[in-house]
Amino acid sequence: MTGSRDLTAQIESLINRLRRRQVVGSWSVSLETALLFRQVVSVTRWSQVGTLIKLVKDVGRRLVMAQPRELAVGNIVRRVLRLIRDVYNSEVSSNSVKSVPQKGGRLYELQSYGGSNSFMEILNFLTHSFSHLKPSIISELQEMINELENMYVNIADQAMEHIHSNEIIMTVGKSRTVEMFLKAAAKKRKFSVVVAETSPTYLGHEMALSLSQAGIDTTVISDSAIFAVMSRVNKVIMGTHAVLANGGLISVSGAQMVATAAKHHSTPVVVCTGLYKLSPLYPYDEDSFNDMVAPDSVMRFDEGDLIDKVTLINPYYDYVSPELVSLFITNTGGHPPSYLYRLIDENYDPEDTDI
Amino acid sequence: MSEELSINDTEQFDIVTCYQKFLKDSPDMSMPIAAIESLVELIKHSKATTLSEFMESLKDASQKLKSSVRNSISLSAGADLFLRFVTRTSHDVTNFEACKVHLINSGKVLVEKATAVRHKIAEIGTILIHSYSRVVMLLLQQAAARKKRFKSTKILRKAGIPATVILDTAVGYIIDKVDAVFVGAEGVVENGGLINAIGTYQVAVVAKAANKPLYAVIESYKFVRLFPLNQYDLPTHTPDLLTFPDLESPRYLSNNDESEDDDVENFEASNPTVDYTPPDYITLLCTDLGVLTPSGILLKRQ
Repeated sequence: MTGSRDLTAQIESLINRLRRRQVVGSWSVSLETALLFRQVVSVTRWSQVGTLIKLVKDVGRRLVMAQPRELAVGNIVRRVLRLIRDVYNSEVSSNSVKSVPQKGGRLYELQSYGGSNSFMEILNFLTHSFSHLKPSIISELQEMINELENMYVNIADQAMEHIHSNEIIMTVGKSRTVEMFLKAAAKKRKFSVVVAETSPTYLGHEMALSLSQAGIDTTVISDSAIFAVMSRVNKVIMGTHAVLANGGLISVSGAQMVATAAKHHSTPVVVCTGLYKLSPLYPYDEDSFNDMVAPDSVMRFDEGDLIDKVTLINPYYDYVSPELVSLFITNTGGHPPSYLYRLIDENYDPEDTDI
Repeated sequence: MSEELSINDTEQFDIVTCYQKFLKDSPDMSMPIAAIESLVELIKHSKATTLSEFMESLKDASQKLKSSVRNSISLSAGADLFLRFVTRTSHDVTNFEACKVHLINSGKVLVEKATAVRHKIAEIGTILIHSYSRVVMLLLQQAAARKKRFKSTKILRKAGIPATVILDTAVGYIIDKVDAVFVGAEGVVENGGLINAIGTYQVAVVAKAANKPLYAVIESYKFVRLFPLNQYDLPTHTPDLLTFPDLESPRYLSNNDESEDDDVENFEASNPTVDYTPPDYITLLCTDLGVLTPSGILLKRQ
């Protein structure tokens, strides 16, 4: 009983911290979400897989609602759901019972039209006791958490394949993934990095400082110089906030300008991202993923008469269309944008796209 | 003797008439579904005694069906889907009679499910359309099917959706006012491209040039096993379709000046009914299996 009360408190705490933006950045959000779900699966009592899935969906929905712009929360919830389904399916098929009909899967998987009644399968899925699956679900969850913890190292390990000696690389914003990626390459290769300062957050300054401290030849440029400098750049390497199902990015404001300039100069754009940032959602309306933040950093309130004569907006993110991206470097290797459908199919169940 | 009789019996049942009857009786039924229904009817009437004879009669019938219509693409998607299913099932079931019963029953299930598919797509579509503040539908019309184009406007008006009819040639003019382009399809090919009524390709090219998203809405039973490399790779590209039916009719000629009369003889007339839209022009495909990118089609086809 105390266990479940603790759990409720933990869920509430994460929801509140998400709301108050006390936990920010897709990686820490993902990790916290994954840890919470490990707790949910182990503390709660359930005997049917259907109950567990419903429970995870309920908690997941509340987390997503708490911070809808943080797509990573939804991604982790979907990963957990998929993982539960997979454990259940492998258990069931090893017992030579018919597997759960995948509603979102192939409708015309014609062989499943065999004599057995699909109603019975669903009944079995909902009522049969599967509480003995708990340990294997938890161990799978643990594996996912380990994967999250080793994310940066796995991506950085591929740096030598992509960065060559004497290359000039441009980056924008501050991304821990890109930072570690570049530093890993700097251990063996000599190259220079051009960092766009990324106003109005000026995260580029922090990025440049961190890179130069690691002994990388770093140049900071103003955002308006991006196009001019692009002709000298060999490769653009950037991070992202989220990757959408069509291969588009939700990235730091200014990323689209970099990507478009790169396209004009036929410079490859490489995006370093963990798979937890890959979302099965499509950008029907690009603006719906954006956030407008306080315009204070664009123009301060005490900056004269102008302030009440103009409208100031400060979008936090940029949508970068998939045509502008050449390659994604993920913790499972490099993939072109057109391949993402496969990764989505491997990691998420179509039934869970709407949580 | 008995074998001959059975063949005769099968022939008494005319698959083409049956197919046309299905289409006539329910105008909402799409061609692939009608094809599957007619093949199921055929199985009911079939007196074949051996499996290979049975398979042969099915193949013949589907061939006959395909050659009976001018444009067989969507029809063959349905027929091939069912034939693949029959081939797989026939290996599983040992008793021939049981196999036939099983096929008839599962054919019915297949048709039921396929009919339900449209509602499922509509659910996805609702989400898609909701996300727009204003949706202007670009109606596809074909010069060849004038009746059809006015029909779709009428249907939309009835549903309370403001609709505008434009000429095919005015697509470029109107595209700036359009938020998104929605098209249906006769078939989706292996690489995610579309086969649809003539004019779709040029609308797609215009949409791409104007940076407007083009969404295709299709049922998954319309996935066809074709890999066209260009427009002329389609099975409908037959000489028969390359003539204007009424170009040389007296009515047409009498409406023209004498000087043009001579020219008509020298024209090489071309009047195809469908064209192929390459996957590069398609933003997303809305199917009953979910929303897919053109490259995602590969994974979902069977």
